[in-house]
Amino acid sequence: MYNNKKGGTIGIIITIVILILLVILSNSKLSDISYLGNAINTIVMPIQNGYTYLKNKISGNTGFFTNIEELSSENDNLKRENSELEQKLRELEIIKAENITLREYLNLTEKYTSYTTTPAYIINKDTSNYSSTFVINVGSNDGIKENMAVIADKGLVGHVVSVTSNTAKVQTIIDPSSAVSVIFKSTGDNAICKGSISTNSLKATYISTGAEILENDTIETSGMGGIYPKGIMIGTVSKIENTKNVIDKYAIIKPAVDFNKLETVLVIIK
Amino acid sequence: MEKRKTLIAISLILIFFIIYFLQSNFFSWFTIAGIKPNIFVILALFIGLFLGRKYGLCFGIIYGFFLDSLIGRNIGTSSLMLGIIGLIGGYIDKNFSKDNRLMIMAMVAITTIIYEIGLYIIQSIILKYQIEQINILIKTLVIEIIYNIIITIIIYPLIKKGGYYVEGIFKENNILTRYF
Repeated sequence: MYNNKKGGTIGIIITIVILILLVILSNSKLSDISYLGNAINTIVMPIQNGYTYLKNKISGNTGFFTNIEELSSENDNLKRENSELEQKLRELEIIKAENITLREYLNLTEKYTSYTTTPAYIINKDTSNYSSTFVINVGSNDGIKENMAVIADKGLVGHVVSVTSNTAKVQTIIDPSSAVSVIFKSTGDNAICKGSISTNSLKATYISTGAEILENDTIETSGMGGIYPKGIMIGTVSKIENTKNVIDKYAIIKPAVDFNKLETVLVIIK
Repeated sequence: MEKRKTLIAISLILIFFIIYFLQSNFFSWFTIAGIKPNIFVILALFIGLFLGRKYGLCFGIIYGFFLDSLIGRNIGTSSLMLGIIGLIGGYIDKNFSKDNRLMIMAMVAITTIIYEIGLYIIQSIILKYQIEQINILIKTLVIEIIYNIIITIIIYPLIKKGGYYVEGIFKENNILTRYF
């Protein structure tokens, strides 16, 4: 097939288009694809404008176009003003982005005042679908050590597994090899929260046989195990699975942190 | 000729880093239902296919080492699996044609399965966790295979062009032995 160059190229183009559509459709909500509306608008607007112009002309509303020279100089002024405003807008956008990051840091630090923390950016994410680790931009030079807990504004993220002088590798709680000792907030029952391949769920196992766990109950770290401090939010119970054998009972937990959108974190130093 | 070989080897290392940045940035949001492709498998397979077993294994191990030290939990797991993929690529080259598109798609699918399942099992042994949620594992794997196949179809003409050029340099002495 590749010998037929034309056919091959068309085939590749069609495949690329299908791939892009597939990715967009599988990842976005209708509100996220407003740019499609914008693109359609770009095509429709000139026709719409022409139509409106004609309509105005026919209905006698043409006075607006009489003084062309005056309009042209006004247009030049407006263009200049517009480019100045655009420049200012760009500067403001940069300041806004900076402000958001600083606010995030501030919110995080204020929320966890009892801990000494270091803010960090995620600079690299895992390339595999079957594990969940990431690299942050702080390392041993900033006082980061192995096994330090990492949190975000909504709750627990994971812990540091290895450190270099300027970076640190963090294993998240959704990694299949992660296990966190947790406590159900309303009943006080203990369990072990394990990660899974799925990015939006955790599995709470080793629940005691007499435990009465409730859906939508929040779970927090219990402080056992020596890595994670007590009382850090992990998520909410989304489903309870009762198996034939009572000791196999487990609960599906929805993590409080959205790991797909995570960008800034705090490392608990003390 | 040696100079050319060195240049190609350096280019192949550079290609790895380009793919690494693509995989950890671009493909972390350009996903199909949240699943990323695995282009390292495709790269190791094609190196095995065009450069032979020896180079396939070597580059697989080097790539795996980079990958393990950049984002992995332990050195050696990705090295082992990517090395195996390179080796498989070399064996496939001896027995099958590289020009058949269906064959290439099947190779990519099989090597993706071998790499991911092998890596998952080794990780579960080393990091001591149970293999659970087989249904999610299969679903993830199927989507990843489809994604890998689509990417292969798109870039195959390019790989083929570059691959035959590189093959000509690396296999200059034994190129005829394949046919006699």
